[in-house]
Order: sequence, then C-alpha cells, then structure tokens
Amino acid sequence: MSKRNLPLGTRDELGPAMARKQQIIQTIQTTFSQQGFAPVKTPVLEYADVFTGMNGGNLGTYSLPAEEEQLVLRPDLTMPIARVMSTTGIVPPVKLSYSGDVFRRHKRHTGGYDQITQAGIEIIGYPGSKAEEECLLLAGQLCTQLQIKQFTIELGNAGFVDAVLAALPLAEPARAELKQALIAKNLSTYQDRIKPLVNSPYADFLQNWPWLFGPLDTVLAQVEKLPETPGVAAILADLQRVAAFLKRYVPNAEVTLDLCSSAPQPYYTGLSFHAYAAAGDYLFSGGRYDRLLASFQQTPLAAVGFAFDVDALVASVPVQDASPQQLVYFTEDQWLAAQQYVAKRPNATLCLATSLAAAQQQADQQQAQLIDLSSQEETNA
Amino acid sequence: MLNIALTKGRTEQDVLPLLKQAGVDTVPIENKGRKLIFTDRDRYRTILAKGPDVLTYLNRGSVDIGIVGSDILTEQENDQPDMLDLQVSKCHFVLASTSAFNPDTPRRLIIASKYPHITQTYFDTIGTDVEIIKIEGSVELAPLIGMADAIVDIVETGTTLRENHLQVYNRLQDCSAHLVVNRLALKQKRAEVYQLITNLQKCIQAK
Repeated sequence: MSKRNLPLGTRDELGPAMARKQQIIQTIQTTFSQQGFAPVKTPVLEYADVFTGMNGGNLGTYSLPAEEEQLVLRPDLTMPIARVMSTTGIVPPVKLSYSGDVFRRHKRHTGGYDQITQAGIEIIGYPGSKAEEECLLLAGQLCTQLQIKQFTIELGNAGFVDAVLAALPLAEPARAELKQALIAKNLSTYQDRIKPLVNSPYADFLQNWPWLFGPLDTVLAQVEKLPETPGVAAILADLQRVAAFLKRYVPNAEVTLDLCSSAPQPYYTGLSFHAYAAAGDYLFSGGRYDRLLASFQQTPLAAVGFAFDVDALVASVPVQDASPQQLVYFTEDQWLAAQQYVAKRPNATLCLATSLAAAQQQADQQQAQLIDLSSQEETNA
Repeated sequence: MLNIALTKGRTEQDVLPLLKQAGVDTVPIENKGRKLIFTDRDRYRTILAKGPDVLTYLNRGSVDIGIVGSDILTEQENDQPDMLDLQVSKCHFVLASTSAFNPDTPRRLIIASKYPHITQTYFDTIGTDVEIIKIEGSVELAPLIGMADAIVDIVETGTTLRENHLQVYNRLQDCSAHLVVNRLALKQKRAEVYQLITNLQKCIQAK
C-alpha cells in the first residue's frame, strides 16, 4: 500500500487552490522583483548546525542520515540567507527575496502539514528605520493587492520585556521565573510570582502585564502605569513611529501592540511584527534581527526581513468566481493560431482530441465550453 | 463567539459549576442527552471531547479554548498558553506497587503507565534509568500479574490502589483542570477571552 499513500504531514496540492497559490507566489515575486530585490535560492538540504539556536516551538526537524555531519530539511529560510551572507563575500547593503518550502515536523496524527511555503525578503546592512518601513509597506501593500481587505498588524519589540524585568527589584531566579510565567501566559503562576512586588511602584502595571496586547491606544494607556524605566521610552517612541507610518501608508490595517511576549527568535533585536486576519494563521511575520549573523561571524550586521506564510494567504484570499474552462479544438494547420488564442485567455487550454465529436464529449464531461477553431477558415485569435 | 472544548466526564462535572458562575449558560450541557455541541446564544459554543482530543482541536484552531487536565497538558507537551489553573478535578501522580516492591532492586526496573512522558521525566529527575511500558487502562494490573515492577498513575483518593493491594512509594506532581487558549485566538478574540478568564478568576478566588 505504501506506494499509494502519502507520508504523514504531507499533501498533494492541485486544482483551483494550487492555481491560486501559484498566482499568489507569482504576485509576491513580481512585486519583490519590481522593487529591486535580488532573488536568492538556497538548498532544501542544509547542515543542522545552520539552525543552531533557533526556537522551533514544539515543532521538530526532519533529520537525514549523512556520512559525517547531520543534515536537515531546512525548517527556516532566514538562517540559510545569513549563511550565504556570511560565506559568499556579498557586500552589504543588499536586498534579497526568496520563496520556497520549509519543513517542520508536527506531532503525528494531529492534522498539521509539515511542508509550508514561505515567500519573503531580507534587507541586510541598513540599520535605519526605513528598512523596517519598506518591509511593512511591501507586506501591507501585498495583502491589499491580494484582496485581503481587513487584517491586523501586531507590533512588538524584542527589548521591552527584558527592559521592564531588569528594572524590577527581584533577584535571580525569581526574575527568570516571572519572565517564564509571563511569556507562557500562565496567569496562575504569574500571580504567585508578582506577590513579592505588591508594594513596589510596579505593582499596578504588573497586575495586568500578561494582558498587555491589543489595540494601540488601549495598550499605550496601560503602559502609562509603568514607572519610568530605562530603555522603555525609546522603545515606545519607536513603536508609535511605526504605528503612525502604518496608519499613513497601510490605512486598511488595524495596528495593535503586544508588549508581553518574547521575541519570535533569539536573534531578534528590535521591532517585531505579525499580521493576521479575523480567522486563520499568521499571514506574515518579521522584524529587525541585527544578531542574525552572530552564529556565523563575529561582526554583527543590521538585518530586517519578513516572510509570508503562503498557505495562510491562500486560505485568506477571497476566491474569485472563475469563468468556465474553455477547451480549444483545432486542426493540424492551426497550431500557432490555437496557441495564440489560449495565451490570451486565462481559462483556456488546447483540446488534443483527434475529432470534433471526441472534443465535444470531453467538454461535456468537464462542463467546459468548447471553442471550435476548425470550423473557422481563418482564425483571428 | 468563543469556541470551547471541554473534557467530558469528571472534568466536565467539576468545571460546569465554575462556567455557570462565570456567566456561561450551562443548562443545555447539563441536559445534554447524546448531543456533543452546545451553543449559548452567539457568545459560546462548547463541544465535549476526550482530554487528549481537546488539545488536538485547540492546536488545529478548531476551538479557541480548551479545558483539560494538567496531566494531559504535561503528557502531550502542550505549548499553547496554559492560562488558568481552575483548581478543580484535583488529583496527583504516584509511584505505586505491591508490598514486595523494592525501589532499590539492583537492576533496571520496568514501570507501567498511561503517561510515559511524565514517567520518563520523573525517573530522569531522580537519575534512574527504567524501562517504561505504555498501558492504556487499568494500569494497576501490571504489577499484580508481574508484567511490571511498579506503576506511575494518577490518583484522586487512592481507593482503587488500596482495593488492589497496591501501596504508594512516592507522590509525584499534582494535577487539576486547566484552561488553555489557542495562541492566535487569544489575539483575534482578546476581549471575549479576557472577559471569560477574568470572570473565572473571580469565581476561583471567591471559593
């Protein structure tokens, strides 16, 4: 039976959903290309060490036996680009784009797919805010272009949680335990961990810190309870700058803040962002990660980027009413004319039946419209 | 609309009074017959499911909230936000066996359990290598018929152990019903989740 079965966690992609996926990838790639991003393709197979230090959540990696060092099917597309930057002598600043599949092993028999398609960009060598803005603008514009009318962009900062924790009058390991309960959103444990701080000036703020996410104004109002804390004012000013930018250039996106989560990956150093629609998975995620190259080289390099979860996009993009397929029947002398006819119509394809009757039968079976070029003496395709 | 998966059986019975106090209309669930899905106006849709399945529904995003024992959360290595200990359906894990059991027997012990992950973690903590056999139910049988040296199992009062002439050699972690939230649903339905959790916290504190 195994040759008729798919391995767990995989699927075939076909039909209208695959056509839409291909179209979405094409739209994204065209936009990246038009905006001057150079495409880069890295191998599906990499050494496991490339991904050292990456936080994969509870998802595993596909490992392959190799003669000397362990190989994996890449679980991520950003770390390989860091490897490329570090080893090929490309001189920054550089703007790269990519699309491809990543492989993350879900728990067996839980319905998750292990092969996920991503498409994204990396802007390397620009430490300024314009790099972050170009990422957000492109991601927002593409969502709009793909007819996702309502979506939320959630902003965060990799330094906020640690800045507040550093200011709390707590010793280790109490500080680490508090952070763990906060990040895990384990309210029962969290309430126990903040008990020693009940008389500190932070008490009011701490009470609701695990809920410090949501609409921009609500979160900012809540942050006002926070006593003056080194580093926090600059982070908040930066987040407000980004929010104002989005309001101006991506007005259909609702902007929210999350100031109680950890950075998505250990290499994040500043802004982080995620986007989601009313239902479904995250549409895109990204941020600033100036520590990206840290596991490959001594010299840090500014980097900003984001990736679309293309499968989540496919699920969120509204389905257009497709016009019925056209089957184009033609004679041996009409090959070029028939090809031209098809090229101009997105739902047309050549019918390779050997007789008009067979072509009609095929059209009836597929509920397609038959276009008979053979009855036209001269075809004006 | 918040979608909730509630573990059926004892957790369901223990948690329903809390949900009722927190403002959920639980009458349809109390009179459920053979139904598995219950709707409270446009506010809540509750489904009843087995404990491990609650996490499957939650991880797939089919429900926003799961109410499930912390034993299952630990065993399944849950990584969705485990937000609230509801402090009902309390029980604990034990290492138990017959009176003839000697934990210091100089050989690799065989331990039977429905919870291999929790068992492994416990023996890793005390630095002992054991062989674990997974048993799906009536774990007490394993030492009685000589298949295992001891068992790691969940107990509430210990009556089943006593009736089968098994004794407790060590008490492991406590467990209770917890409320777990799908990470993305927490963002997408923040206000509704906040309301339910805050109401439940008040009920727990008032107890």
